[in-house]
Amino acid sequence: MNKRTKSPRAEQQFFNDPALDRFMGAFMALATEHYVLLDRVRAMEKQLTEAGRLDQEALDREPDEIERAETSADRAAFIEALMRPLLGEQDALGASGKFSLK
Amino acid sequence: MNDRAFTAAQDFLLSAKTYWSTTMYRALRDSHGEEGSQTVADVAQAIEDSTLYQVYAWYERHLQRMKYAGRYGLVPYHNERRIDLLSELDSEDSECTQESLTLPAYYTVVDIHQHPGGVWSDGIAGFVYERGARTTTPLAGAAEKDVHERFTDLILEEWKPANILDMGCGFGKSTQPFVRRLPDSTVEAIDLSVPCLRLASYAAREAQASNVRFRQMDACRTDYEAGSFDLVTSTMVLHEMPPKTIEDLLDEAFRVLTPGGRMIHLDFYCLPDVFRRFIHYGHARRNNEPYMQPFAELQLSSLVSSKGFVDAQVAPFQESDRVDLDGNEAWRFPWTVISATKPKT
Repeated sequence: MNKRTKSPRAEQQFFNDPALDRFMGAFMALATEHYVLLDRVRAMEKQLTEAGRLDQEALDREPDEIERAETSADRAAFIEALMRPLLGEQDALGASGKFSLK
Repeated sequence: MNDRAFTAAQDFLLSAKTYWSTTMYRALRDSHGEEGSQTVADVAQAIEDSTLYQVYAWYERHLQRMKYAGRYGLVPYHNERRIDLLSELDSEDSECTQESLTLPAYYTVVDIHQHPGGVWSDGIAGFVYERGARTTTPLAGAAEKDVHERFTDLILEEWKPANILDMGCGFGKSTQPFVRRLPDSTVEAIDLSVPCLRLASYAAREAQASNVRFRQMDACRTDYEAGSFDLVTSTMVLHEMPPKTIEDLLDEAFRVLTPGGRMIHLDFYCLPDVFRRFIHYGHARRNNEPYMQPFAELQLSSLVSSKGFVDAQVAPFQESDRVDLDGNEAWRFPWTVISATKPKT
């Protein structure tokens, strides 16, 4: 099978200031993550409520250091999704730059 | 990534795409108005610098990017399941690979649909493409016949072909209706993508279909004898080829058709007004489909006729009951049926 190495290429530009293009990417990554989280919480609360095991006070309690360390890898992946669009590189090879059909 | 998180993220992106293709598209169209533009350049001059168009264009590009790549993209999701997915295909036959075939440069130079690596370079690409293609026609309801079934309906209303060649069959979605609905016919399905062909072959085996073969082959240079088929068809293939390659495909279709045989393609071509043409050309650029605009600018009926075909017809195709071809309010692909006949003498 033919193989090809991936080379970074500048992402297309749509706004007058390319910084806005990149920050929109960060915004949408955040919005997606937010929705995934909402979906997860909704599912969890439903299951716990149905099982009669939802402890509201425990949920509100500040997590300890052990719990925070356990979630650090997931935080790193979240930050990657949030901040990688700021680099302005394509994920899939295609035409670059801003174009006009004028 | 767990299945629930992936599904939630993809559903979120599809909901955003639906908003984009309805509310945002209508707002953009309304901002341009009905009159004034005679050319694509006129439309571009009128709206390209507007904030609304810039937002519209950004969302078209990046909702597709996020569908395939990023934390919840199709590629990382399937990559995490690589071993299990590939194990399903391991027992497939060898016809899906032709060792001597060199993939053409036009095919490998761009990651089509913003699918990282394209549909050919990774063994799991067929699974990725299949999952992505489930939302190609977002306006269609889940209970409706899909576009491939509707296209097959159109052909079978005409006659029942006995020997069928499906060019650029991908993972077999376009092939399956012919295989299932014409059990006494023989179907040959060809594509350049080994990962897609292997998935198609696997699905056919699961369906216990014995009247179809999936083979790696360039549609412009097949190994079939002249006059082998009474139907040569393709779905969403022509717009992914540069004009010279399309000519070669038409020549090959003519060669392998039996006299009186029919060539019927489903693709994106009929653009009813200059605004839709502007939108389509922009989509091509944003979706990594560089041959879409050159295809839309071909004099297709004349080109088909110049290859020896007769009765060349180019007609809009209604891909969903929800679509009004005369006044559709939402964004849609310009689905078109291109058909012609090889003369009997």
